[in-house]
Amino acid sequence: MKALYYCTLGIIYKELLRFVKQKSRFFSALVRPLLWLFIFSVGFKMALGLAIIPPYETYITYETYIVPGLIGMILLFNGMQSSLTMLFDREMGSMKILLSSHISRNYLLFCKMLATAIVSCIQSITFLIIAYFYGVEMELIAYVLVLPVILFSSIILNAFALFISSVIKQLENFAAVMNFVIFPMFFLSSALYPLWKIKDSSLLLYNLSSYNPFTHIVEFIRFTLYLKFDYSSLFIMIFLFIVSLSLAFIGYELKKIPSSKS
Amino acid sequence: MKTILEIKNISYAYKRDLVLNKVSFCIKQGEFFVLLGLNAAGKSTLFSLITRLLSLQEGEIIINDYNLKNYKKALLSIGTVFQEASLDLDLSVRQNLYFYGCLKGLSFKETLVSIEEELDKLELREFLDVNVRTLNGGHRRRVEILRALINKPSFLLLDEATVGLDVKARFDILAYIRSLVKEKKISVLWITHLFDELEPNDALAIIHKGEIVENSSLKNIIKKYNKNTVHEVFEQLSKDTK
Repeated sequence: MKALYYCTLGIIYKELLRFVKQKSRFFSALVRPLLWLFIFSVGFKMALGLAIIPPYETYITYETYIVPGLIGMILLFNGMQSSLTMLFDREMGSMKILLSSHISRNYLLFCKMLATAIVSCIQSITFLIIAYFYGVEMELIAYVLVLPVILFSSIILNAFALFISSVIKQLENFAAVMNFVIFPMFFLSSALYPLWKIKDSSLLLYNLSSYNPFTHIVEFIRFTLYLKFDYSSLFIMIFLFIVSLSLAFIGYELKKIPSSKS
Repeated sequence: MKTILEIKNISYAYKRDLVLNKVSFCIKQGEFFVLLGLNAAGKSTLFSLITRLLSLQEGEIIINDYNLKNYKKALLSIGTVFQEASLDLDLSVRQNLYFYGCLKGLSFKETLVSIEEELDKLELREFLDVNVRTLNGGHRRRVEILRALINKPSFLLLDEATVGLDVKARFDILAYIRSLVKEKKISVLWITHLFDELEPNDALAIIHKGEIVENSSLKNIIKKYNKNTVHEVFEQLSKDTK
């Protein structure tokens, strides 16, 4: 138990150190959703009227609507950034330290996901505080309750990102992942517009968005921020957690570390 | 004397390309064992199999009486130095050591205590709070060796640990590793392609095209082939296996 405790501590320690030392990473992760909140939403809100939809009990501004989606954006891009780091570590050789450890590879991967999730939590809360001063206010208890939800959601997205990084052979291929996985995942969700808006335009895209795990993550965050709870969403999240973790574990168990044939 | 590492009939292929063919040898406690071979001889593949970076296809590896299948025990008391740099460049030496110590189940304090003695021997104390990125190659390698010693291993594996270093740095590191064998009875697997790193009494296995072609002490091998240097022996062996 002591070994597992210190192992978890060590991986979180390293992730936090990297986070603190790479200040540009913190700001770029924050600037992206803030641009959407301050600029995109201002231009877009005139074009998009929002009906009263759960969890909202009244008409809301577009800025209010997209805040949970932008938290999802932070988690999604952070997860990808983290797996990109792992890919870089793999190419540089430093991941060998982890993979040649006497501790279970799955446990190490889980610690890595948890560490990234903690960093994502810090970034998300910072974003929520800025959004608060911008006028998107929630009840104080919502900020507390959303923390475990963000942590849980982040682990799911990190696991998914790790699975993707396990099937990528070269660092250069990661750009393709951004175009073919991340952006479709983000835009085919309820992060920026409600699903009924998509349904009006395209039934096919609506169906795709409904099955998109990212939609469920965003909605789970949205409902928690407005202190609404839905058991079916929780079960979906647990299901996504199990599936994404299994994929990441299987991906890294089968992974062959690049090795010269010397 | 106790056997620390036992390699039994290891074969490994990358798809259809057989890179190791029925490799077997043993390393005894307190032995400095050199695995010598040219590039693409299969040295790093063997290293990756011992450290579980690659999965075994055929054969068996036993470390400290534990089969590698039981890796939680087998890998517990080994220290490794990889051919590629494996330090986090953005962290300081101390932070890198703390991180690795945690992976070995040690607190920050325990980590520092465990390397206290070696910190001075490797002349790294003054660099503890220096960012790894600013260190030269020789110092980085010394940090990696120090890191490998954190859990006080009984067995140390080094894969081409002196590659890319100048002559002085190479022989300083080699002398330090030899002192560990002598003073602390640590067993060492020293993987290299550099002939000048060998000493007459070293246990030696020569690997060529994925096969162990000789396994004895250096002086016995030289005597057997009636040559003056290991380089000449190697040339002879290369001709024989063509």
